[in-house]
Amino acid sequence: MAAISTKQKLLQLIEDTEIISKEIFELMSTPKQQQRADAPETQKLMELLVLKDKEIKENLKIAAEQAEIQKTVDELKTEVDKRDTDIRNLQKNLKEAETILSTAIYQAKQKLEAIRQANNKTISSEELIKFAHKISASNAVASPPTWTPGDPRRPYPTDFEMRLGFLGKCSGDLPINGQQLQSQGSYGEPMSSNRTSAGLGEPTSASTPSSVSSWQPPPELHHSLSTGSGGASGFLTEIKGHNKENEDVGFMSSDSSSSSSSDE
Amino acid sequence: MAEQAAENELSFLALVCDVLKSIEKESHDVTQKMTDLKSQLQRARDCVEKMPGIQYSKTEQLKQIDVLRNQMAVKTELLQKYKHMQTFDLSQ
Repeated sequence: MAAISTKQKLLQLIEDTEIISKEIFELMSTPKQQQRADAPETQKLMELLVLKDKEIKENLKIAAEQAEIQKTVDELKTEVDKRDTDIRNLQKNLKEAETILSTAIYQAKQKLEAIRQANNKTISSEELIKFAHKISASNAVASPPTWTPGDPRRPYPTDFEMRLGFLGKCSGDLPINGQQLQSQGSYGEPMSSNRTSAGLGEPTSASTPSSVSSWQPPPELHHSLSTGSGGASGFLTEIKGHNKENEDVGFMSSDSSSSSSSDE
Repeated sequence: MAEQAAENELSFLALVCDVLKSIEKESHDVTQKMTDLKSQLQRARDCVEKMPGIQYSKTEQLKQIDVLRNQMAVKTELLQKYKHMQTFDLSQ
């Protein structure tokens, strides 16, 4: 059970003082003959009043001490609140740092994984440059910087290049491997060949006849071409027409390979 | 100073004596004196309501101080721990 607070004690003492005073005034104002038989003596009531006054004085001293203690309590509470704020700020900062660090670690791990993958599957720069030339020589991956509407140079990939790409692989209509990519690279550009034959400015002047003669269609294609209808033979004619453009690619690739080997 | 003021507000004996004297003399100002005493009692109650820290007993207050000091110690220790924490623990 909680102890009675000083406030309650003081209020109780004030109440007592009021009651005792009233009792004394009643006794004093009533003539002795009319007083009740069990009425308390005035002297005793006065003593009780003095006693209550003493108690009030004592409790006031305690109240003064408690006021001092309360000051200490308030100061301590302020300090504790300040510490709480500091701790909260510090925790917030630490959490922020943790988030930044975990992001950095995640990115670093990704980079390490990429490095590991690159180390496992090393590709020579020569080959990479060759391929870059191959896909960019005919403006298949990006239009030339000076391209404007009406320019005959293609700012888009051909049907064949599309089939060589990821989407073509997904559809699975043409099985492609590295060998085929090299060997078939010369017959997949019907649109560009049309333009080339019409003399629309495709940069093919650097082609060499040797790279044309080196091309051989893959066995399955050869089979389909030889056994196919007139449409197939037309396709073959088209393919032959396109060799010219890919010769250019071949030339550039060989050019870059020779340059990179000369660097070594 | 505040203690003195509170003591003045909470002293009733003088006023009670005044009322008793008036009753003995059968004076006309008895009612006035009694009203004064009543006002003094009300002022005393108001004064008690405003006193700081007396809503608890002294024992409770001292206990509260102990609790707050313990909290202070724990929180200060935690802050020190955070501030002197190794930025990177490379031992693990």
